[in-house]
Amino acid sequence: MGFLVFGVVLSSSVLGVLHLNNKLDSVMFYVAVRILLYDKARSLITLIGVIFAVGLIFNQLGIFLGLMETSSVIIDNTPGDIWITSKNSKNFDFAQPFPEYTRHLVLADNGVQWAEKLIVAWGIINQKEGGTEQLEVVGFNVDTGVGGPWEMKEGSTDLLRNGNFAIIDESAMARLGNISVGEYRDVFSRRLQIVGICKGVKSFTTAPVMYMSFPLAQKLVNYLPSESTVFIIVKVAPGVPVKGVANRLRGLLKGNDVYTKSEFSFKTRYYWAVETGVGFSFLLTIVISFLVGILIVGQTIYNSTMEHIKEFGTLKAMGADNADIYKIIISQAMINALIGYVVSLIITFLTVGLYDAIGMVLSVSWWVNLFVLLLTVCMCIIAAFISIRRIKKIDPAILFRG
Amino acid sequence: MTDALVTRELCKVYQEGSIQVTAVQPCSVKLSAGEVIGLFGPSGSGKTTLLSILGCILRPTSGELSVFGQEVSQLNENQLPEIRRKYISFIFQAFNLFPALTAFENILLGLRIKGVVGSEAEDRTAKMLQEVGLGHRMHFLPRDMSGGQKQRVAVARALAADCPIILADEPTGNLDISNGRKVMELLKELASEKQCCVVVATHDNRIEDIFDRIVYMEDGFIRRIKRSNA
Ligand SMILES: Nc1ncnc2c1ncn2[C@@H]1O[C@H](COP(=O)(O)OP(=O)(O)OP(=O)(O)O)[C@@H](O)[C@H]1O
Ligand SMILES: [Mg+2]
Repeated sequence: MGFLVFGVVLSSSVLGVLHLNNKLDSVMFYVAVRILLYDKARSLITLIGVIFAVGLIFNQLGIFLGLMETSSVIIDNTPGDIWITSKNSKNFDFAQPFPEYTRHLVLADNGVQWAEKLIVAWGIINQKEGGTEQLEVVGFNVDTGVGGPWEMKEGSTDLLRNGNFAIIDESAMARLGNISVGEYRDVFSRRLQIVGICKGVKSFTTAPVMYMSFPLAQKLVNYLPSESTVFIIVKVAPGVPVKGVANRLRGLLKGNDVYTKSEFSFKTRYYWAVETGVGFSFLLTIVISFLVGILIVGQTIYNSTMEHIKEFGTLKAMGADNADIYKIIISQAMINALIGYVVSLIITFLTVGLYDAIGMVLSVSWWVNLFVLLLTVCMCIIAAFISIRRIKKIDPAILFRG
Repeated sequence: MTDALVTRELCKVYQEGSIQVTAVQPCSVKLSAGEVIGLFGPSGSGKTTLLSILGCILRPTSGELSVFGQEVSQLNENQLPEIRRKYISFIFQAFNLFPALTAFENILLGLRIKGVVGSEAEDRTAKMLQEVGLGHRMHFLPRDMSGGQKQRVAVARALAADCPIILADEPTGNLDISNGRKVMELLKELASEKQCCVVVATHDNRIEDIFDRIVYMEDGFIRRIKRSNA
């Protein structure tokens, strides 16, 4: 019942301020607050409706954006300006291999400062208690670190250099059970020692991510043709326009696709959000929540308006403009919107940790918060319009019925 | 005496599908400031309709109406609220007080609508509540007051704004004899102090003696106007 307390505190502080203010607008706001406080049961239902709808919007939007961030998190955290893939690779997670000598062709362009190979492939890891899990294997150049983990919790990437070693992300433990540094795990039926735990690396597919050296990955991933890579990441020399180099590489490499970093990040997000239809189902839930919110708020405000229709009519008879009365209705809607929004926001912030614990990201950023705020306000204003139309049509005859 | 409300051949016809109902037949009357007028007649005789037109809530089908010399029958929907704000207050059978607001706040809200603001509005409200004998009930909600008390709040709300015209439709309709009388006597006393023109539509014969003038209506026609000798 925390939000009820919050609502009462907010309204009473508003009342305190209003009492000193004599502008007609704030009088109408005052009347709105009094009406809401008078019919507490109805106000509570309205608030719960708003909290439910807005909470669901926050949740769906947050999970969706979290998934989007996750889907391109490795691209976004890898240095370099250009990503080269095999022809028609759809996204980061399912790209096809191509010959690694392509790197030499790329290096021949004098706008290129450096070019690194990166393997992203699918592997099988044996569970401690038997059974297997799928995992995403990333093989990178340990000497430069390009494409490798960007934040270590334990251990160091240097240790990957010689031998059968691997680094796993802490989020993988949700799937694979507790793994500590020094432990051995079988990957592709090869015994690897875990030499480090990294942070912040997740995949859209929710499969755990494992890092190893490029040569080891090339050797272990049995479905890759020999001497092949999956990506080449290019850094453009200082002062050279990225677009120009990308265009030249496109002309040069007929068997490959060439993207700038942001293009490839977007392509991957677009694939998961739009081509798989995942985004649509999130959008649908958000739209339905929005409509349910309008219905609940609209319905309760409308009932309240109908109950007060004679009083509103009396105000009109005394000379109030429709606009004066709209202010009462709009104020009611806005109060519900703002209190409901704040409570939903607090609940959302409280659940971020919960999502983190199950290996998911609930994205909350200032612009998401602002967007949901606007959505909430729209929702409540649209809801108020159902009542406003009714006010507009008040028949003076209702005033004279006993 | 100043003419508060003057009608010339004022007439109202309701169009109900293909059927026309003439609720008020052409009538010409003059109602003065300081006068308390009773509008009597059987049910359906057109009292409420006439009152709504006099109150600038309903527009006449034809004829003219002037309020303190200002011709209003030609004004449109957007101009009428201004006239009502300036000149007219209402009292209704069902009181029409906001249940969420106290007696004090209900009157204050009425005053704010009429453009009275600041501490003056609060002083007037308090004074008005004293005058209707509810000084000790100022911060009561309508649900904690009797019907008579509620109607006295409504009377206070109507009079606080100092509007020169008070229109009341069946103000005693929901009250018993003694309370109805008390409210009417109070209304008359306060209205004559302020030189208001008061028109009360009612079929409560027991309060006939309170009025300065009585207008009898039947089938939309004004049959008779009687000046009280009291
Ligand atoms: N909005 C309307 N539409 C159509 N006809 C109406 C409307 N309002 C009133 N009438 C008709 O106009 C006539 C006069 O009605 P009015 O309400 O003015 O009578 P009244 O004297 O106030 O009656 P009562 O004592 O029952 O209140 C009646 O025949 C009524 O049916
Ligand atoms: Mg009537």
